[in-house]
This record gives sequence, C-alpha cells and structure tokens, in this order.
Amino acid sequence: MAMLNFEKKYRVRGGTLLGGDLFDFWVGPFYVGFFGVTTLFFSFLGTAMILWGASQGPTWNLWQISIAPPDLSYGLRFAPLMEGGLWQLITVCAIGAFVSWMLREVEICRKLGMGFHVPAAFAVAILAYVTLVVVRPVLMGAWGHGFPYGIFSHLDWVSNVGYQYLHFHYNPAHMIAVSFFFTTTLALSLHGALVLSSTNPAPGHTVRTPEHEDTFFRDIIGYSVGTLGIHRLGLFLALASVLFSALCIVISGPFWSRGWPEWWGWWLNMPIWK
Amino acid sequence: MAEYQNIFTVVQATGPVQHGVELGHGNSPRSGKPFLIHLFGRLGNAQIGPIYLGGLGLASLLCGLFAFNIIGMNMLASVDWNPIQFVRQLFWLALEPPAPAYGLSIPPMNQGGWFLLTGFFFTASVLLWWARVYRRATELGMGTHVAWAFAAAIWLMMVLGLFRPILMGSWSEAVPYGIFPHLDWTAAFSLRYGNLFYNPFHALSIVFLYGSALLFAMHGATILAVTKYGGEREIEQIVDRGTASERAALFWRWTMGFNATMESIHRWAWWFAVLCPLTGGIGILLTGTVVDNWYLWAVKHGVAPAYPAVFPAVVDPALMTGVKP
Amino acid sequence: MKPFQGLKASSGVLAVLAVSAVMLLSGCERPPMESVQHGYRGTGMVQVYNPRTVEANQDIHTAPVTLPQAPGNGPLASAVYKNVQVLGDLSVAQFARHMVSITSWVSPNEGCTYCHNPANFAEDSKYTKVVARRMIQMTQHINADWQPHVAQTGVTCYSCHRGQPVPSQVWFKEPDQHRGADFIGERAGQNLAAESVKLASLPSDPFTPFLLGDLDIRVSGTTALPNGNRHSIKQTEWTYSLMTHMSSSLGVNCTYCHNTNSFSSWEGSPPQRAKAWHGIRMARDLNNEYMEPLQPTFPAERLGPLGDTAKINCGTCHQGAYKPLNGAQMAKDFPELLKSAATRDVVAKK
Repeated sequence: MAMLNFEKKYRVRGGTLLGGDLFDFWVGPFYVGFFGVTTLFFSFLGTAMILWGASQGPTWNLWQISIAPPDLSYGLRFAPLMEGGLWQLITVCAIGAFVSWMLREVEICRKLGMGFHVPAAFAVAILAYVTLVVVRPVLMGAWGHGFPYGIFSHLDWVSNVGYQYLHFHYNPAHMIAVSFFFTTTLALSLHGALVLSSTNPAPGHTVRTPEHEDTFFRDIIGYSVGTLGIHRLGLFLALASVLFSALCIVISGPFWSRGWPEWWGWWLNMPIWK
Repeated sequence: MAEYQNIFTVVQATGPVQHGVELGHGNSPRSGKPFLIHLFGRLGNAQIGPIYLGGLGLASLLCGLFAFNIIGMNMLASVDWNPIQFVRQLFWLALEPPAPAYGLSIPPMNQGGWFLLTGFFFTASVLLWWARVYRRATELGMGTHVAWAFAAAIWLMMVLGLFRPILMGSWSEAVPYGIFPHLDWTAAFSLRYGNLFYNPFHALSIVFLYGSALLFAMHGATILAVTKYGGEREIEQIVDRGTASERAALFWRWTMGFNATMESIHRWAWWFAVLCPLTGGIGILLTGTVVDNWYLWAVKHGVAPAYPAVFPAVVDPALMTGVKP
Repeated sequence: MKPFQGLKASSGVLAVLAVSAVMLLSGCERPPMESVQHGYRGTGMVQVYNPRTVEANQDIHTAPVTLPQAPGNGPLASAVYKNVQVLGDLSVAQFARHMVSITSWVSPNEGCTYCHNPANFAEDSKYTKVVARRMIQMTQHINADWQPHVAQTGVTCYSCHRGQPVPSQVWFKEPDQHRGADFIGERAGQNLAAESVKLASLPSDPFTPFLLGDLDIRVSGTTALPNGNRHSIKQTEWTYSLMTHMSSSLGVNCTYCHNTNSFSSWEGSPPQRAKAWHGIRMARDLNNEYMEPLQPTFPAERLGPLGDTAKINCGTCHQGAYKPLNGAQMAKDFPELLKSAATRDVVAKK
C-alpha cells in the first residue's frame, strides 16, 4: 500500500481545515484532503489550458512552447482568449493550485503535530510569483507586464525586462538577493557536508558527535552556529533570497524608470564628498 | 494561546565554554579564549572561538591579505590616494586584467602585472585554505565532504580566473577585482557570447542555485517544524530514527509522494549545492572555446522560440550597397 | 492557524525589512508610470516613462516659434552683401530672416554681434562667424545627405544649440587618468562612475573609438561555433558604454532597438535599430569632416583639456528625446537648409 514500515501509526483522522472527514484519506502515498481536491482541480484545468494553448500555437517543441500575456493595451481588463486571456486564466489556476498546495501542507502539519514552517516558507515563494504576475502588473497598469509561460520565452522576458533598466546588476535589491542566493548555496553545501562528514567519518572511526561538528567549524572559522542555528539560518537565507528578489522586481518599473546604475547617484552626490 | 515557533531562542542556557574535541599528535593548540555573545545565542550558538591556527591557515591568511592589499592599493592609487574618494567610489573601483594585446604574456606591473600577481596569491590562499579544511576534518576523524564541496567552488573560481583565460589565449578575459566592475564583466560576457540564458549549463547551474534555495527552505523549515521532537539532533536521528525523522519524512511523502531520510536529505543538499558551481564552471569553460554564440547554438539545436513578426523586416544596413559605410 | 508567539521576534525581522525597503525607496521614484509596448506581447520589450519627469522636461523638447516665410523676389544676398559664401542665392529678405533665426537659435542673449563686427558685418574677424558658416554647411549636409537618419524631418541650428552658443551636450577627449603613481592604479579608461555612462563603471569615453574612429562596435559571433571572431570581453564593455550613451541620450532603454534575446540578430529587431546604425555613421562623418577640422578656428577656452574641439554625440541633438524636439519638423520651414552644400556653394559663387 506504498506505506513505510513505521507509517501506519501516523495515519490518524483529523487536522483538516475544511471538509472534516470527507476528504481525509490517502491515495497511495499522497494525502488528499479538501485542498488536495482543489489542487487537482486547478492543476488539471491549468495544465489543460496550457496544452490547448500550445495546440493553437506554432509548435509542440517543449522548449519553444509559450503562452504569452496580453498586449499592454488591454490594461487590467480581461483579454480575448487567444490574445492573452488564456494566460490570465492559467495564472488564476496557478495561484489557485499553489495556495491549495500550501493549505494542504498545513493540514498535513496539523495531522502530524508539526510546526507550520514549511507552508509558511512556501507562502513566501508564492508571494514572489504573485509579485511577478499580479502586484507588479497592477502597479504598472496592465496584465501584459507578466512573464510568458514558456521555457525559453520566459528567459527572453527576464533578459528584456532587465535591459529596460540598462544594467540590471546595479539594482541594489538585486545585488542583495543574489548575495543571499549564493550564500544560501554555500551554507547548504556546508550543512549537508558537515552532517555527512559526521555520519560517514574517516575510515577507522566511529560516527562523530555534534561536539565534533562544532569543533570543526570553530577550528576553521572560529564560530559554529550549531545544529539548531543552521536550520534557522538556512531558512532565513533562503527566504531572504526570495523576498529580496520579489522586492528587486517590484521596484523596477513602478518605483524606478531609468537605468539602475543611475540610482547610485544619491551616494555619489552626498554633500559630504561631492 | 500563541504557540512558540522556535525561530529565536528565548531563554539561553549558558554553561562553561567548550574547548573542542581534543586533537591528536601533530596539531597546534587552539588559539583565543572563547567568549559568548548573547545576541548570537538567540539564533544559534553564543560561543565565539577558540580557533585553530596552524601552518596552512597562517600561510593562507598571509597570501590572502597580500592579494587583498594589492587590490586595495591599486584602487586607492586610481583615485589619486584620496581616502575620501576611495570610500565614495569604492563600489566602482577595481584592479583590471591586462589588455587583450598582451595575450598570455606577463605585462608590465601597471598594465596588468598587479592583476596577475594578485591572482596568483589569491589562488594560493584559497588552495591553502582548502588544505586546511581537509586536514581539520581528518584530524577530527570526520569525512572530508566539506573539503570536496569547497573544491566545487574552487573549480568555478579557477575556470573563471585561470583555465578559461588560458584556453582563450588571453589574461584579459579574466574577471576584474571590483564590485561593479565584476558585474560589468558578467553583463559583457553574456553580451559577447550571444546571451548566456541559452547556454544549457548556465540553465542547469541556475536550476541548482534556485534548487538549493528551495531545498534549504524545505529542510530548514522541516527541521524547525519537528524541533519539538528533537529533530535538529540530526546525527542521533540518523543512527537511531526517532519520531522527528518519521514525521518529517511522512510530511513530504504525504505532500509529494516521496521522501528522503534524515541522512539522504543531506546528500540531496550536498549535490544540489555542489552541482551549482560545477555545472556553472563547465558552462563558462565551453563559452568562447567551443561555442561563440549561444543563441545561434540554440537556434541550431531547435530550442530558441520564435515570435510573430510585429515590425516590418529590417535589413542589416551594413549589408546594403550604396549605403555610406 | 494559531497566531505566532514568535510574532514579536518575526515582527522585528519584518521591521528591518520594512525599514530597508523604505530606505531603498526614498532614493527611488513613485508610481504610476507610463509604459509603451514595443514588441510582441510578453517579450518584455517595453519603454517605461515617469510622467512627472517627462512633464518637468517638456520645455527642453519644445520647438521654438518659426518666423513666417520671407518673399523670394528682389536682389540676391550675394549681390547686395559682401563676403557671402553660403546662402548667397537667398533674397535679401530671406537672408535676413535666416540671420534673425540663427541669432534666436544660437545666440539670443548675445545678439548679432556674437558673430559679426557691428562696424563691418562682412568681416570674418570673429571666430564665431567662421564657425557658423561651416555649421550652416554642416546643417545642409545633414539634411541633404543623411536622410537615412534624419529622414524628411531634418535639423536646423536649434536642433543642437537650443538657444545656446555651445550645445549643452558635447564631448571632448578625456585627459589621461590623473595618477597617484606610475607603477600602480591603472584604470584602463573605466571604473569611474562617469556621467557619460550614467554612473556605471563601464569605459567612460566610448566616443573617441566609435564616434570619431571607426573601431568595431559589433562584437558577437555570427555563427554558433567559433569562426575566427577575436573580439574580447573588454571590447564588449566599450560597446556597452556606447549603447548606454545612446539609450540615455534618447530617453529609451535597450529594447527600443533590440530584442535582447539576441542583440546581434537583425531579424526581429525594431526598425529604430537601422536608424541608429545610420546615426552612428553620421556622427562619425560630422566629427571628422566638420568638427575636428575647426580646431584651429576655436580659441583656447572653447577647446577641451587636450586642446581638441567639442564634438557631437547622440545627446547633442536628441538631448533625452527619442527624436530631437519630439520629432518637430523645423527644417521644412528653411528650404535653404535642405539642399546640399555642394549645390549651394556652386550657386553662391555665380
């Protein structure tokens, strides 16, 4: 029945947010729940629309399929289906599916007696997506500012939106976000490596202890954040990456219309050293 | 009643400072008297120190400081030794690589010689530090996973500063030492080689970069969510699975249909993080050597999207006869 | 969901984020912005304008009032006045109209005597008169021979001078970097937060190599695999500098001329890119044939730190507008500026 050997005792009733016992069951390893049903609904509908949109397009090449948002001229109105309206409906389904997934995670946490950290973190990621396809377009006055749904076409959008500001690397929030992304990757490699180096020790040694982990990092850099701290730090670094990313794009356009290098004029022109 | 989410430690238990696991024969004594910082203790351990400073570490620091100082002196000289302008223009200043005309030869000091000298000492510093990380692990009887992860980052660094410039026959291709200038280099690199978004190894590297953020958010959050069951005691949980690991695994199994174990999640983590600079370095190395224009390469391989024509067709004026050259 | 007890702590984090956001935004502009789509939907080829900035700069791009046409009958200016080397085939009335117009376009505060000796208008004693004569020829040359760039809109003196003897945006060659020492601190022409590249650390003088010289602006390969293209990353930074200048002097961004998924492809490029290509060649032509040769004519205070003349770049004429004066057609009211200098000089000598 696709259950792990310790799983049965955890499969208890309860923890649901909506629907009571109606959807409180598993299909294979997957927990369903009311929000599992809504997830399936939005995912199925959204994917079907993507596939239909692709069928109306010029290609079935996975890398080239693209569902584009409406022209800017439609503003914040609903566009005709084949002129970007499909993109709008897919976006609604995406948000519906992501939020459903998050609420399903909440139900699973409640059932397992866990904290809600995972769905909370996922909510930050959803916030970033919503910033890109809802918040920023609304601030700019048109749904057409959203990114197209296509593997390489969405990268063309990133390139062009970046060059709207001549040299996007100078965006201060982008600089912070990139730094957080690289630091997250560094910290993840260190944490993964540290735990593995304790549980897979040098030949001839027994499994190490947290004291060895702390000693290793204190020896190398004078500080060890510890077993609890690294998980707080990692979560913080990852969420900061995403939050500053959302910030860096929401200010580009609504809060800045020129090249990003020019923003640094305030620093260069401070009266103390102009 | 509000529930404590274990984001910050509210009550810090302090005891005697830890002096670390005893080292074997051939190691120096540790340096520094350990002390506590209460603020740090709200997130992780409060203890700072002691630190191990052996031969490798000392050599690494000396080489590194030397390189750092060369960069700083060049920056300061470029603003006419004016310390105020140094601070004001700091983000714009740099130590630049030599001009392309010098190829792989050693140029005069002020025409790129300082840059090469810095690169040499910087590389030496990093490699010595790598050796330090490796040795500290083996002296503690630990696996060398940290060192090998570090090696992936060193791979990327050396591709950018040494391997690729050599393959391209020009030190000028290396990355300048400067905040904004290295960002200019990044943009110029993509502009020169036909849009790096179409480089498949660049795409893979980004997958692993974003994937690492995803994984650390997932793993960090999962552990925090089961700290009430001792989930952060990962070594213990790995050798003797407790309810923390079981709940953590089941959360993901029920959410997405499969799960890791308390040990294997750290392998997922290690590989995602390591593959980011690893594939990135490959992507950089292939650029200019094997591929000259990534967009055209993508067109050739049938992955570049086409857009409906919105403008009338534009002919390259350089191809038209009778036009002023 | 139960409220967080860690709310106090996480609200601290949120406070930090909010403060940093406020600090960031205080250096920014405010919505709403105007955006103009300039390509297929979803490609991100969009021009973004701050309507408050556009409003504030409105005066810079407003064309001045044009004097009504003067009658073309009567004696020619070359017959009546001495030392008329250009515009000689205009009637006296038309000639006078032109002179009044030039004064308002170039030296409205300084008046006729900016160029003329009031005791002898025919004299070439003031350098400004010699320069102005050459500039008239340059204007005619632009309108007749550079239609691939200026089309039928054309230019007059006002297009660059805007009521000033010296246009507000000209460029000079840069002196060598002021060095603290000879053996250290080489900037290689960049890393300076120069206004010319809108505060990027890109090379600060892309004009000498590209708008005076004819060094390669194109750096990308034309084939997927290497095919002998030896352009370097450093050369690319120089091209980037030129492009930054072009963008900011037209008040547009890169997507005005390019789909940045492939900067070098002409397929899918907006038509403006071809216009810009001609504009670059025009600037080179004008700088080499008209501006540089005037160097002996200018006094020292009009020359740059290396003793060279002021030269033309995109900003000289565009001054932040996609078309100078937002496309106002001034030249059509001055047919004497539309014909080529060659024809003009031949007629004048008769």
